[in-house]
Amino acid sequence: MSASAASRGPGCRIGIDVGGTFTDFVLADLRTGALTRYKEASVPSDPSLSVKRGLPALLARAGAKPEDVELIVHGTTLLVNAIIQRRGAKVGLVVCEGHRGLLEIGRGRLANTYDLKITKEEPLVPRNLILETKARIRADGSIVTRPEPGEIAAIAARFRAEGVESVTVVLLHAYAHPAMEREVAAELRRHMPDIPVSESAQIWPERREFERSLVAIMNAYVQPIMDSYLTRLTERVASLGISAPIYITASNGGTLSVDTTRDRPIETILSGPASGVVAAMRAAAGHGRIITVDMGGTSADVAVTLGTEPEYTTLTHVGDFPLVLPVVNVSAIGAGGGSIVWVDPQGVLKVGPRSAGADPGPACYGRGGQDATITDCYLAVGLIDPDQFLGGRMRLDRAAAEAALARIAGRAGFTGPDAVLRVAEAALRVATALMSTELYKSLAQRGMDPQGFSLMAFGGAGPTHSTLLAAEARLETVIIPAAPATFCAMGAILADVKRDYVRSEHLELAHGPAALARLKTIFAELAQQGHCWITREGDLLGKPEFVASCDMRYAGQAFDLSVAVPEALRLAPDATELAELFHKAHERTYGFRDPDSAIEITTERVRVVGRIPPIALPAVRRDLAGPPVAAASRRVYHEGRMLDVPVFDRATLGAAQPVVGPAIVEQDDCTSWVAPGWAGALDEIGNLVLRAEHDGAGTTKRDAHEVALA
Amino acid sequence: MPLDPVTLGILSHKFSAATDEMTLNLKRASRSVYVKEAADFGTGLVDLEGHIFAFPASTSVSAIERECGATIAAVPDLADGDVIITNDPYRSRGLATHLPDLHIVQPYFHDGRIIAYGWCFIHFMDMGGRVPASISPSNSEIFQEGLIVPPCKIVKRGRIDQEILAIIAANCRTPHQNVADIKAMLGALGTGRKRIADIIGQHGIAEFEAARQEVQDYAAAKARAVLRRIPDGVYDFWDYMDDDLVTGIPVRFRVRMTVKDGEIEVDTSGTDPQVRAAFNLPTHGFRHPWLAVRLTQFMLTYDRSLPLNYGMYRHIKAVNPPGTVLNAEFPDAVGVRHSSAHRYNDALSGAMMKACPDLMPAPTSGVIVPIVLAELDERGGRNVTVVEPLVGGRGACHGLDGTDARDNSAANLSNHPVETIEAEIGAMIRRYDVRCDSGGPGEWRGGVGQIVAIEILRDNSMLLARGMDRMRFIAWGYDGGAPSAPLRLIVNQGRPDEREYGKIDELLLKAGDTVTFLSPGGGGYGDPYRRAPEAVERDVRLGFVSREAAARDYGVVIAEDGTVDAAATAARRDRRMAATQPDGFDFGPERRAWEAVFDDATMLELNRRLGRLPKPQRQPLRRRIFDAVAPELGARARIRFADAFADTDAARRRLADAMKAILPPEAA
Repeated sequence: MSASAASRGPGCRIGIDVGGTFTDFVLADLRTGALTRYKEASVPSDPSLSVKRGLPALLARAGAKPEDVELIVHGTTLLVNAIIQRRGAKVGLVVCEGHRGLLEIGRGRLANTYDLKITKEEPLVPRNLILETKARIRADGSIVTRPEPGEIAAIAARFRAEGVESVTVVLLHAYAHPAMEREVAAELRRHMPDIPVSESAQIWPERREFERSLVAIMNAYVQPIMDSYLTRLTERVASLGISAPIYITASNGGTLSVDTTRDRPIETILSGPASGVVAAMRAAAGHGRIITVDMGGTSADVAVTLGTEPEYTTLTHVGDFPLVLPVVNVSAIGAGGGSIVWVDPQGVLKVGPRSAGADPGPACYGRGGQDATITDCYLAVGLIDPDQFLGGRMRLDRAAAEAALARIAGRAGFTGPDAVLRVAEAALRVATALMSTELYKSLAQRGMDPQGFSLMAFGGAGPTHSTLLAAEARLETVIIPAAPATFCAMGAILADVKRDYVRSEHLELAHGPAALARLKTIFAELAQQGHCWITREGDLLGKPEFVASCDMRYAGQAFDLSVAVPEALRLAPDATELAELFHKAHERTYGFRDPDSAIEITTERVRVVGRIPPIALPAVRRDLAGPPVAAASRRVYHEGRMLDVPVFDRATLGAAQPVVGPAIVEQDDCTSWVAPGWAGALDEIGNLVLRAEHDGAGTTKRDAHEVALA
Repeated sequence: MPLDPVTLGILSHKFSAATDEMTLNLKRASRSVYVKEAADFGTGLVDLEGHIFAFPASTSVSAIERECGATIAAVPDLADGDVIITNDPYRSRGLATHLPDLHIVQPYFHDGRIIAYGWCFIHFMDMGGRVPASISPSNSEIFQEGLIVPPCKIVKRGRIDQEILAIIAANCRTPHQNVADIKAMLGALGTGRKRIADIIGQHGIAEFEAARQEVQDYAAAKARAVLRRIPDGVYDFWDYMDDDLVTGIPVRFRVRMTVKDGEIEVDTSGTDPQVRAAFNLPTHGFRHPWLAVRLTQFMLTYDRSLPLNYGMYRHIKAVNPPGTVLNAEFPDAVGVRHSSAHRYNDALSGAMMKACPDLMPAPTSGVIVPIVLAELDERGGRNVTVVEPLVGGRGACHGLDGTDARDNSAANLSNHPVETIEAEIGAMIRRYDVRCDSGGPGEWRGGVGQIVAIEILRDNSMLLARGMDRMRFIAWGYDGGAPSAPLRLIVNQGRPDEREYGKIDELLLKAGDTVTFLSPGGGGYGDPYRRAPEAVERDVRLGFVSREAAARDYGVVIAEDGTVDAAATAARRDRRMAATQPDGFDFGPERRAWEAVFDDATMLELNRRLGRLPKPQRQPLRRRIFDAVAPELGARARIRFADAFADTDAARRRLADAMKAILPPEAA
């Protein structure tokens, strides 16, 4: 950041999250503690344009000047789309002789075992742009053959003739012995100085050539797109008179400077959902174990936090490709607001997996969508107000929603005057069951059971569906944050600067002092790399922190477990303590330990963290007592009955004012449905915390709040 | 109580999700590489008749209609907390299909009575027997294949029977892993029990019991709707395994599929007799799950919303008479029964292709060969490692090329990173690439196979490669499409000491040798001369088709600069079009030569007459007859049928004479 800004003391921080339909802004004014939010329509062809348009409006709304801004943190899904739509650079690849099938064969598997017409992903580098070098080393680093004279020059000439824009070198065993790969890359650069050349081991030095090459290839593939975007973004932000540094959100829940992002755009590829989880961690601090559900227009994403850290994974996907970088573990659980409701030939009502997306969108958007969607069901049963959608900026067409539902009601066996209401509610039940079972599966994959977790719901549709989902999944507590629809933008300004470092060196604990000395050295080297990097990431950051972990296994196991290594052990590894940490992790995940088995370390990791000075989340009014006053009432069809439901304005709710279901809490850009059997209030930082009420028999009280029938 | 369709849909979904959770928990806890890498395990929820009413979407679908009835009936007096275990293909009546598959079944109780069962199995690393990993094609009796566990209680009222566990542990080479895997399975059934209780808690026992049956009725109705896409008719087809490894005589799988208004009957009569090797499939004459794999894939391809359960098969009937390799009889060895099932399903593919050619692809490469290397270690022991699972390409279908160098059709295996393997073995993987010109040419091209070349760096290294096949009887082409290239195994390719092998069981190698496996591609579909020239140009550019093959097989002339020479292509294509245009099935030269002598009618007659003899006499007499036609067959000499049977008439005379002389005369 600029020296002048630093000398002026605290100012404003801005978080920006670019989504498919809207770009969300959050401004935190550190001088007043106030948060200001704003939404601007996205411009898919140039997301920086919506940033340029939205920032002045945001500043005006917050009463802040451009020079007050001390930090901008920005998240975008530009890169995922570039990969899915294959819009990236023309990349050339250099591999060891005999291994040009690297991307065609991949890891050998196809998506399922039954589809007679299955296809596989189109590689990011076609095989004719994969060229061979004689350079070859063994697993121990010894050289088998060196590049032949003239070989690299010929490769460069070939790439140039093909119009290749970026080149990646992936030599076998380079993750442990990068010298030969570096040498080939250096020689290539000499022959084509104008074309960027990356090295697999330099981008991500992990064993397994296919996965490592994908990290490097995807990085090269999206680099030009990210580069030109960052140039436009920085220019547009500067043109507004804002001189604050810009950081980009990363898939590991952290942020990176613009310079680092230009070098390593791949680190930011899954950042959108990760930001929401970061915000959830802060907002839900003190609420124990949390399942986050981010339900938007096209999908619902789930993640887990057990405390102050999100849960990470090193096995995820970008489009069709596996990604081994450590990222916040976010998984899709199906239905979003746009999921289409349909009836199969046997008369069974189904939801999804097809989605109407944002365009044409649900029938009620009035953009020509004929299919009934979950959003149409919300509207039909009365959960959302057609005049208040997105704060009234988009009027929904209730008649269109009902017409779309009427078209399927008969086929699903619903007749009579209330057929539309009943089919809409049935579709919501189906969607809820679908999300709940996917939630259970998603947690089973992590070795967890949802019981005992609280559900934190955000995204445009999350608060509307949260009590329905929690009741079905038998979760006792629902937390809806203060501004659920702009939550990812909030996460952006709460995130710290983070980067992960990896080494794949096989160590056996039984080898004693030699292995431990090696481990200590590896940790020290990784931390040193991290330290060097982070000191150049900006002067806002505190003293760097290092978080070490190892991937470990019992000898002969085909899979690893990630084990966090405490600071003391990182600096002075001890075999007994490491073994015990692993046994415990194994017991926790798989239910047993195998004390007789030897233990191996397959991968060493260090995450470096530069803390951004924390901001306080603003408190809500505490001076309002007693039940809140309803702003209006609305008819909601729920469990076969028409209920008369009070509608509360969230902006006027004070802390601890009881909200008892059935109730609706409206706010600027989303609707929270407090189903019968749920009750709660705002906590000090504005989370709406709802709990399932039980009667004496332990079942949820569903009938106690029965309201007049229609 | 008939359920409303909304509740039925919701419960159908919850049942299947419960089995997905069982699967995830089993997979996490298992130690078997078959589970981790090959998904060779299954879980399900079973009704009171022993039929699967819920099955996970996430595993292999070849097990959906497992019958647990015989296993449950074999263990009376089941109490809450009991669990049955078995791997016995005969006493479980085909629930287990070979000994490494250990199955467990647990009754789930509600209010003191059984309301469902949980089931799962894992392919264990080793169940003892003659060879490590228990499976060898050259086993002839099940007793050689490992410890047989008849259906019995492994858990009694919640307590594991340590004595049975000790017997299992004592009889196998991987006792630790096996005990851990039994516990992993018990954990998975515990998950199923919990979810069933949750569902009953939310929906009530009446809705649960209604749904247990109605999800099967629902599946049956949906399945019927898909099966109706197969036109009525009678469709005969057959395919071959190259040989049974003990002799060089091919094994034929013959099916007759009869279709009437979405009712399917598959009759395997006429299939060759049981072999004295481990290829027999223990079906007990039932409609075994493996006999419907292709139909299952068909139904799921064309209705992805089909709930997976026993009801899917209500309209499929099997006629599977005794005496064939598809109906093993105690104590036939069964270890490698999947090879027979794969080829049988290719035969079923052919019958379905005759019926609905627009909906079925040509066959895949038809082989999965785990390439295993046993190197001597410093202590004189052997370090045994699976180097790579060799697979081929997939067959083309109408409008779609086959997938290149990956195949999900039988096991959908993960391969091994070269970096991981080379860190574990002394040998080097010199090539791991796609195999040019191996896919069957066609308007839609069969997917290409793979090349795996391994340079041996230690003397006395032993190479094992089970599952080799399709070296003769190759993946066929359809409607003018051509067959794939055959599987090949070459040592020291391109050197003076180059030598080519047929099927091997073991191969001893010395330092400096290079072993090259060339896997087949899939069959082609449609006349290759009709393939779009740009598609051929792309194939050549990417290295899937050579320039020579482009001209020869596709009539597309690719110029030096890699682009299509339009004029030369048009000329070449016109010339061929005017001559003969291929159609129907193309089975390749070896099958043509074979069937010129051993035609369908004669082979049906031979099998019919052999079938009347006591079982011990069948294979010896059969071998004598084939030896009389060509002695190389029994001796497994490497011959080309096209050469051996060049004089078709003479060979047919020898066959007729041998049948007359060797088979006992039939009563008039």
